[in-house]
Amino acid sequence: MRRPRTRRFLLSATVATVAAGASLAALAATGGRGAPSVSLGATGAPGQGLAPPADPAFRVQQPRPLQASRFESTWAAVRQATPVRAGPRRAAPLVGRVEPRTPEGTTNIVLALDRAEDARGSLWIRVRIPALPNNTTGWVPRSTLGGYGVVSTRLVVDLSDRRLTLLRRGKAIFRAAVGVGTEQFPTPTGDFYVRNKLTRYRNAFYGPLAFGTSARSETLTDWPDGGFVGIHGTNQPALIPGQVSHGCIRLRNEAILRLARLLPIGTPLRIRA
Amino acid sequence: MTLRDFTDLPLDDLDRDGALRQAADELERTSRAGFLATVAGGVATAAALVRSPAAAAALAKSDVAILNYALTLEYLQDAFYTEAERKGALEGPAAELAQVVGAVERAHVKALRDVLGKQAVKRPFFDFRGVTEDPAPFTRTAVAFEDLGTAAYKGQAHRIKSPEVLAAAVGIHSVEARHAAWIRYIAGAPPAAEPFDAAKSVNETLQLVRATRFIVVRPRTRSRRRPRYTG
Repeated sequence: MRRPRTRRFLLSATVATVAAGASLAALAATGGRGAPSVSLGATGAPGQGLAPPADPAFRVQQPRPLQASRFESTWAAVRQATPVRAGPRRAAPLVGRVEPRTPEGTTNIVLALDRAEDARGSLWIRVRIPALPNNTTGWVPRSTLGGYGVVSTRLVVDLSDRRLTLLRRGKAIFRAAVGVGTEQFPTPTGDFYVRNKLTRYRNAFYGPLAFGTSARSETLTDWPDGGFVGIHGTNQPALIPGQVSHGCIRLRNEAILRLARLLPIGTPLRIRA
Repeated sequence: MTLRDFTDLPLDDLDRDGALRQAADELERTSRAGFLATVAGGVATAAALVRSPAAAAALAKSDVAILNYALTLEYLQDAFYTEAERKGALEGPAAELAQVVGAVERAHVKALRDVLGKQAVKRPFFDFRGVTEDPAPFTRTAVAFEDLGTAAYKGQAHRIKSPEVLAAAVGIHSVEARHAAWIRYIAGAPPAAEPFDAAKSVNETLQLVRATRFIVVRPRTRSRRRPRYTG
């Protein structure tokens, strides 16, 4: 069916190409804007006397392929309160619930881990959520989330070494000694993420700056605002490194200020024993 | 095909980040001032200046505003294709287009940011609402974006003061037109449907982009509230 049309198209394309080639050859023979080799009458050659092209104010460099890598993680804002389910379908059991705001009043975010379509063709996203038990993941409709943010950083806290390491594209760019939870109030282990940053609150106990994480204390469950684990400064730097906190990760003030310049919100956090 | 063809979203849902409004306001302001007054000292040859740190400072204010308007639209396209490539939900020709066009749009962003220097507008925050993860809406949106980008560049061409800036803008404009033809071919629409392409004004462009609700307020992840973490 399409062959005759294709043939006609090719034929006309060939004719057009030959004609265009002939015109260009004629133009080339004139030297572009020089004297024409053939007389075109009293009016002169077309284009004669016209200015050459302007030099562009800038040029666009050669495009580069996307450097997406295994070190990238995606987070998304929670647009509306929504139940989190064990599978990508409305009938799946509930595993939790996410709210659009954190207890600190910031936009709540979740880590986007995977995606799937349900039987109706609706898109679902598997997310890591700030809920007990720690390490909970579940599925929410894509429509309940906002735009995606991408980070290429990863934060690792080693409880036994009492060290925090920030990696960017897999390479360590910052290390610091930390204070971690006591045996009575241990820092939880597992996979979490950094979800907000608090500044200028004037409370020396937390130092000049605090990051909120999705990790929650498994012992202080009745703590105000849910017992979330923070990464913050301190007014007792001599206690660092050590097992000194109620589960939070404490850094010396100069260290938390340096970390704040390097650590984007949405960075995955791994706390290991 | 236009953005209206695939969305029934209300036009009164504003550009909540204000990025487009900012670009449009700046354009309006400079067009009033710029056409009435001669820029003191004249506009130096941009080609000679773009390699110096004072490149953007030497451009006419109205040209800076137009380049920032272009940059905002390039940010939109860059974010759209880059997110589509990252999500990996596309296959075949659409996936190839996202990869190739995304790289070109990122290069456009870099070029515009380089020439504007500190005067470059900030990158807005985008929420593509799943469109980058679904082949059919992706293709329809890409057609609309490329048609819009081409028409928007054309809409400002007559207001560009510097011939060198105009030469650069036209260099990008024709690339956008090639993208438009490519994605139209993939979408099954005529790659070059019309013998004459109309320009789009800033307001027409803004209205269409707002209708998508793709530019949103950046999530507020910082607060001054006193921490109540476990300590």
